[in-house]
Amino acid sequence: MQSYGDEPRPLVALSLPSRIVIGVAACAVAVAVAIHLAMMFLHVAPSNTLSKQQSEVIGEYVYPEYEQNWKLFAPNPLQQNIAVQVRAELRGADGAARTTGWTDLSARDGRAILHNPMPSHTQQNQLRRGWEFYLNSHTAQDRPNGLRGELSERYLRRIVMARLGAEWAADGEVERMQVRSMTTAVAPPPWSAEKISDKPVYRELPWWQVTAADLPEGAKHQ
Amino acid sequence: MTTPPAPQQPPHAPQPTDQPSQPHPSPQLPQQSPATQTAQPDPAHQGPAVSAEAPRPSGPAAPPAPLEETRIERAIGRGFARVTGRALAPYQTAVIRIGFAATWLFFLLREWPHRHMLYGPDGPWSLGMARQLLADNHAFSVLPWSDGRGWFEFVYLLAIVSAALLMLGWRTRTMSVLFMVGVLSLQNRSVFIGDGGDNVIHLMSMYLVLTRCGQVWSLDARRAKRAAAASGPEHDPLGVPGRDLTGVVLWAVLGLALAVAQLSGCYGLSWFGSGPFPHLGWALVFWGLWAVHGLWWAVRRYAPGEPRTVLDTLAKLAHNGALLVIMVEVCLIYATAGWYKIQGSRWQDGTAVFYPMHLDYFSPWPALSQALGDNGLRIMLITYGTVMVQVAFPFTLFNRRLKNVLLVVMICEHLSIAFLLGLPFFSLAMITADAVFLPTVFLVWFGARLSGLRGRLFSRGASPEPAGGPGGGGPEARTHGADGGHTLVG
Repeated sequence: MQSYGDEPRPLVALSLPSRIVIGVAACAVAVAVAIHLAMMFLHVAPSNTLSKQQSEVIGEYVYPEYEQNWKLFAPNPLQQNIAVQVRAELRGADGAARTTGWTDLSARDGRAILHNPMPSHTQQNQLRRGWEFYLNSHTAQDRPNGLRGELSERYLRRIVMARLGAEWAADGEVERMQVRSMTTAVAPPPWSAEKISDKPVYRELPWWQVTAADLPEGAKHQ
Repeated sequence: MTTPPAPQQPPHAPQPTDQPSQPHPSPQLPQQSPATQTAQPDPAHQGPAVSAEAPRPSGPAAPPAPLEETRIERAIGRGFARVTGRALAPYQTAVIRIGFAATWLFFLLREWPHRHMLYGPDGPWSLGMARQLLADNHAFSVLPWSDGRGWFEFVYLLAIVSAALLMLGWRTRTMSVLFMVGVLSLQNRSVFIGDGGDNVIHLMSMYLVLTRCGQVWSLDARRAKRAAAASGPEHDPLGVPGRDLTGVVLWAVLGLALAVAQLSGCYGLSWFGSGPFPHLGWALVFWGLWAVHGLWWAVRRYAPGEPRTVLDTLAKLAHNGALLVIMVEVCLIYATAGWYKIQGSRWQDGTAVFYPMHLDYFSPWPALSQALGDNGLRIMLITYGTVMVQVAFPFTLFNRRLKNVLLVVMICEHLSIAFLLGLPFFSLAMITADAVFLPTVFLVWFGARLSGLRGRLFSRGASPEPAGGPGGGGPEARTHGADGGHTLVG
């Protein structure tokens, strides 16, 4: 069942049918490779005459398994620190509601990454890309577009509850939560004369009801 | 400068459409890379080409044709001989096999404590949510097959084991398929936690299935060498191999598992829809691979003559095609990364590199980033240098020396990204991708040094193990590298 062998053998001695099989296979491989490479090229190239004309064909070929994006730090690198913060409305044992202060989850990620030669995807990607997912699947008015929009909201709530659920549980039951982002421009380089405001810009999302679906399975039993 | 953002899965409505017809390339394409060229002995050493429908004798060694051949016809003939004659670049494909498998293995081990948060059924991206998205984008994953915690742990362990065995080159062909299943299953289940490194591994795991990446530096190669040695000096490489009980058992177990999954109607196993290619489902792919593995075994054992040669040649063709795809893919990565940067104002004004180093998510060593970022000229040189290298790389493939210089530069840059931006797995994946262009001479020398080191380290233990280590030289080490090849073979 192994095929590591590579025995050079003359192919001249083969019968005609065998030679036809090999010839046809060679053509098939050449065509397949050409199609595949053309699709990959059109997928990563900027939108152009051909890729606009054939967008459906390209999309059907590329998605989902060959999707790729190599615009790495391009055309411009991100020049802002985007922090995701969250607060909750808790109902205590006495039945009184109270609102917590803002907790900066990105700052916690940052602390976990500091002096860490091998940051985990949970620290470096989960919240950062979860927030991007939310932005990409919502309008500027925080209206979800379709399934992805709704999934991204639940994803954010579940990330928050997985991280803060236990802390908040000590003070009461979580009824609602609110997420906001704090965007701060990276200060321009010391040699640059550019002036950029260092005042953070906030984007506050609406309050969200927290339901059982937002809790990690284990949290329900606590 | 390269970085993490991984692609979003855009919504799309799958609408079966036919492929556009593509111009027909001549089959000599893989020769165009100097990297593979170095890996190859002179084509004259190979048998003359087999011609298909149009008989076309070829190669310098071939007798002159009765009809005058044009140069193009001769070139096509030579190319055909080359791609059907051998599975090219055995060392380069072995390096990327080891590199990608190791990257994925180390990643899975590093994330072991966080595995439930990333891929587990109760993680923030719960299995139910993953199912909803998969129903929309039709990506392949075995994780939706069961809600159980045990199934998840099993798949995660399977991914670790298959990556380790692929790295070592044990049953390489089988392990490459399991490796791909592990990679696709975990990554497609949680698409929103990956970065560029995951993306590279995702693509390469599929391409590796079609490459003979275990020809050298693998346990398979060592086993083959021992079998050859055991059967004496007059060993016929085309002799009937043993029954290979392990292989038969492995094949039967995997076939049974696939049958059970298929009969229970598990997610993702459709015959003609949502597979790796349009109109080619994953069920067809897996059963096809399974059948081919069985056929290869049967043919080697019971029909060692012509049928075996034909199958072997087809495998070489597939290998060489996939190798070309891998090499072009690496070029596409660098070309895209470079050409899009040129359009950015920060890359133009020479400050771009400053910014990622000052993002909280990518500065594990802020003091170091600060120190590096306080010199405007240095930042500008790195910024411009990065763009130049990325844009230039695909073109330097036509000049061996220049290509090697650029490879060194890019590998160094990725090493610094690994450390400075805290992206070790991304960088390791990129370095591995670069390695497909390393020259054979260097790889053979490097392998010899490694096995020499190993020999020195373990010789006191009186190990009877030959210095050849896991693998041993392939045919080319013997014919090609008179200097390093011999030590490698032991």
